[in-house]
Amino acid sequence: MSFDLEKELKRSLRREDASPDFNARVMARIAAAADGAARKQARAENRWWRRLLEFFRPPEMKWALAGAAALLLVFAVIGVQRYRVQQRAAAELAEGERAKAEVMLALKIASAKLNIAQKKVRSPESGVRSPQ
Amino acid sequence: MHCVEPAVEPLEMKSDVLGRAKSGDQSAFAELVREHQAMVCSIARNFFRDRALAEDLAQEVFLHLYQNLASIESEAHLKFWLRKVTSHRCIDHSRRRRIKTVSVDEAPEPVSIFEWPDAMMQSTLRRIVATLPERPRLIVTLRYQEDLDPTEIAEILELPLNTVKSHLRRSLVILREKMGRTLGV
Repeated sequence: MSFDLEKELKRSLRREDASPDFNARVMARIAAAADGAARKQARAENRWWRRLLEFFRPPEMKWALAGAAALLLVFAVIGVQRYRVQQRAAAELAEGERAKAEVMLALKIASAKLNIAQKKVRSPESGVRSPQ
Repeated sequence: MHCVEPAVEPLEMKSDVLGRAKSGDQSAFAELVREHQAMVCSIARNFFRDRALAEDLAQEVFLHLYQNLASIESEAHLKFWLRKVTSHRCIDHSRRRRIKTVSVDEAPEPVSIFEWPDAMMQSTLRRIVATLPERPRLIVTLRYQEDLDPTEIAEILELPLNTVKSHLRRSLVILREKMGRTLGV
């Protein structure tokens, strides 16, 4: 008995139609899935926070929000600039105070040394007469 | 059950149906289902040898198609997509449910008879094909049901071409041997 395996495989595994109601079942399943998705979407849209968000989102509000955001950005930039200027001024003031303190200390030291020198000059052992 | 002859339709008409389905026309989508149900169901049925399970899986494939219709570019892409998704789902489903495949040697031997009516021959061959492991079974199905060449099968199953060729060669050896034993030739 001759046997052509590949030919027989083609015959055995050929396409066959599904059940007559297959298409209807697919379409019903798709409709059910679409319905379920729509209900899920509706549920999601009905959430209170979403509705609240929607309330503040009419088309004109978008421009107002954009303007407010831009204004906020400008204020933020100005604020940062001012803060930097203040910081710089405070740093300069502190530097000045430090320099002043150093000068005062130097003057005090110089004054003390002058006093010592003056005392030595006025002492009798030095032989220097103080001016009348 | 009756065999389905591939309908010859003008290409523009087919792409028009696809285009209408993509734009949300339910009747156009139903037409797509009608056109491709035999292909999808037969791949699953030849894989599982269980009509109800095959049709359930085919329904899932079409539902998935409905959800991903926007990504389908052409009629050829649609066929490729359906074959690919069906094949991968068959393997996934089989692995998930741990369907036991009887090894070729464990499979019950059909009684050898002198005259083999076509129906019996085909039923026996289908039964023997069903004893092949998952991947080779799918490769044999795509090769002989869909008349695809190994390159196309490799693309669909995302396997190296040589793997597909060797699965096919080995499967044919096994099938020939098993059928030879069954037929007594």
